[in-house]
Amino acid sequence: MLTLRGVARRYRGGAGVRDLDLTVREGSVHALLGMNGAGKTTLLRLALGMLRPDAGRVEILGHDIAAAPAAALREVGQMVGRPFAYPELTVRENLRIAARLRGCEARAAEAALELWGLEAVAGTRFRRLSSGTAQRVGLASALQHRPRLIVLDEPSLALDPSSMIVLRTHLRRRADEGAAVLVSSHHLDEVARIAGGIDVMNAGRLIGQLDPRAPDLERALFARILEDDRTRAERPR
Amino acid sequence: MRAALALAGRTLLRSSVGLVATLAIVLGQAVLLAGMALALRRGDPALEAKLGPAASQDWDGLLSSAAQITTAGGMLGVSVVLTWIVAREFVDGTADGLFALPVARGTIAIAKVLVMIAWGAALSLALVASIAVLGLLLGYGPPDAGVLAGLARQLLLGVLLVPTAMPVAVLATWRRSILAGTAGGIALVVLAQVGVLAGAGRWLPPCIPALWALGVEGVGAGSLLLVPVWAAAWAGLLHRQWQRLQQDR
Repeated sequence: MLTLRGVARRYRGGAGVRDLDLTVREGSVHALLGMNGAGKTTLLRLALGMLRPDAGRVEILGHDIAAAPAAALREVGQMVGRPFAYPELTVRENLRIAARLRGCEARAAEAALELWGLEAVAGTRFRRLSSGTAQRVGLASALQHRPRLIVLDEPSLALDPSSMIVLRTHLRRRADEGAAVLVSSHHLDEVARIAGGIDVMNAGRLIGQLDPRAPDLERALFARILEDDRTRAERPR
Repeated sequence: MRAALALAGRTLLRSSVGLVATLAIVLGQAVLLAGMALALRRGDPALEAKLGPAASQDWDGLLSSAAQITTAGGMLGVSVVLTWIVAREFVDGTADGLFALPVARGTIAIAKVLVMIAWGAALSLALVASIAVLGLLLGYGPPDAGVLAGLARQLLLGVLLVPTAMPVAVLATWRRSILAGTAGGIALVVLAQVGVLAGAGRWLPPCIPALWALGVEGVGAGSLLLVPVWAAAWAGLLHRQWQRLQQDR
């Protein structure tokens, strides 16, 4: 569903990502873990064509992301960055517009309002929402068209516990139905509950994988990052 | 394209930017024209000297003053709205959601331009209506065929504001800033003034609509056709910018 092969991208000033090889298969939830600035968001942006790679290739549903046809792009649901919602529009208007842009019936918005517990604020302008509710709108907007490839950056940010359960249940169900899900998160407990595989990022590279069912995920994550930092520090320049 | 048009149209209709700009341009022009007419009626020799041919207290004077105000004030107002509809995607963070969509970003940008052109036409109708009402209130009598032709010229002048202001959309995308686009609008007004003073008015698209509306000799339909060519060239550039957009800032 999603493949990155040898992808690299350098920003002005030197930071960036390199040697990214990643495959997210249908029917799986894959998580990206790493410290702030490790390159997780850059990887997700590359996966969605928000950044063009300096090297390597990104494919979604078998197509190069730069030339993917509308039919393939219709199957993508993403939230990387701020929720896709216009402040002057109501929650319902935002969901209907997002559905139309994805080529899906605007009435999908009604089901999304119900799923994400947004009926009470359906007529409220987006700019008046709390950050937690705004995040729910963003997730509803990204997922309402039942995409087969889901890419989310820190989806549980600002969510209340009941919304986190909705998110977890929804992603798991979509994966069971055959969707491929890639999420970045710093919420280890959340990742452990939903992800089938975890890739660790550090200093712009994917440095290995973790077992989400391992007993102390946090310790394992930090140990992996520390080991990578030491290896890089000892490497002759 | 329909989804992109719905997005651009709905956001413009629901935002305060479009409404405030429309009211500011239409009411601002009406108040300015009424104030000038009343000052001339009281006999203000300084204003009379400044206005030149526009100082005549009749339909011709009113239309001449309106054309000049629309060119400068209208251009600034339109630039602000055009800049907003483009750069707001970056300022409000909604640009992230425009990637990996079945609707191409270039299509979304062109839809914004088309919606702006439609808004510009509605704005121009409101401007012409306000001028007609003002002329009647000032006692200039029922408009004859010549005045109606003048009002039609004024209508086209207003319609051409958005196409003339197209560079600000490109500038706003390049800098991803509402302020940069607005500054571009000011630059266009200055360019129009300098262009006329330098004698390049009939070839420089930002000058052409006003000179044509004022009936300046040598500025005819041929010159006027340069405006859609100018707008199409900038729209092409805008389309390319949006197609190649990256979230790298």
